Amino acid sequence: MITIAADARGAAAAEPFISAAHQRHPSLLDEKFTVAELYDVRNVPAAFWIDEDGRIVRAGDPIYAQRRNRETGEVTVNKEYLDAVRDWVAKGPRSDYLMGQERLAARLPALDFDDVIAAADFQLGTYLAMHGHAADALVHFKKAHALRPESWTYKRQAWSLGDIERDYGTTFQEAVKDPASGPFYPPLDLG
Amino acid sequence: MAGATLLYQGTEYHPEGARLDGDELWLTLPDLTSATGWELKPEGVCKDEICVPVPAARRSALIHEGASGSEFDVTEFARLIEQPFAHDEKHGVWDFGPPGWEWKTRLASREAPEFALPDLTGHVHTLSRLRGNKIFLLFWATW
Repeated sequence: MITIAADARGAAAAEPFISAAHQRHPSLLDEKFTVAELYDVRNVPAAFWIDEDGRIVRAGDPIYAQRRNRETGEVTVNKEYLDAVRDWVAKGPRSDYLMGQERLAARLPALDFDDVIAAADFQLGTYLAMHGHAADALVHFKKAHALRPESWTYKRQAWSLGDIERDYGTTFQEAVKDPASGPFYPPLDLG
Repeated sequence: MAGATLLYQGTEYHPEGARLDGDELWLTLPDLTSATGWELKPEGVCKDEICVPVPAARRSALIHEGASGSEFDVTEFARLIEQPFAHDEKHGVWDFGPPGWEWKTRLASREAPEFALPDLTGHVHTLSRLRGNKIFLLFWATW
């Protein structure tokens, strides 16, 4: 198991969580989003299964280890997903939970030029924000959001470096409902 | 132009002799190689195993032979290799992404991309080091 914190604030943001969790696996930092881009991480959490030959067999699962019941507040372990992971560990290529080519293609769509221009503007905006120019970063963040509305990574990171209402004229609840953005998370789809 | 900053596929560089001409960013040949890894050779613009031939029709748009040495237009080269870039005029910062042959085929093979990232202590971990194991890879963030 490897975890990667895709967070522009790097260790300053991630350290309290990594330390509190007493993690024994490699807990890595990707403050420039280099690796998040390579895996086309459009929101977090996003989990990938990689087999012994280095091939992706499941991609982009929006997975939490625990679930919280909104009405009762009760927290339960996400047994359904953990069972799927255990099935893969036990059965490998014969697991029922591997994604076929069609489902992998849906989770990892081919990029077009607008997508990679969006990435460049997101990188530039992040650089400016982290160097004390948060107001000047907005034009680049907004361009990235317009070119790649389905990337919640670009939005959520940008919002966290500013003020969503003041800078973007929206709220988290409103933004999530915007049909241009598509779903916040893909369906988990353990079928 | 003073104080240009290049973010070239994640690496930051401050060229000494950058010149801005409209939307074009010109670098000296030593800056070109230091900032981007690309080097002008007789066979083309080369980095590692790759050489991009310079089409005769675009040569004058890519290379200027000036009195104080040659200059190379990295923005025009980016267009040639379908490399995305973004520019902030006020701060003189440029971000260049990967060339077209990288982003167009990214993840198409379903091979997990190799990476090298540090942990909190600065120790660098690679994916390939764990080859032969099943790997559960999880991206998260505090935002």
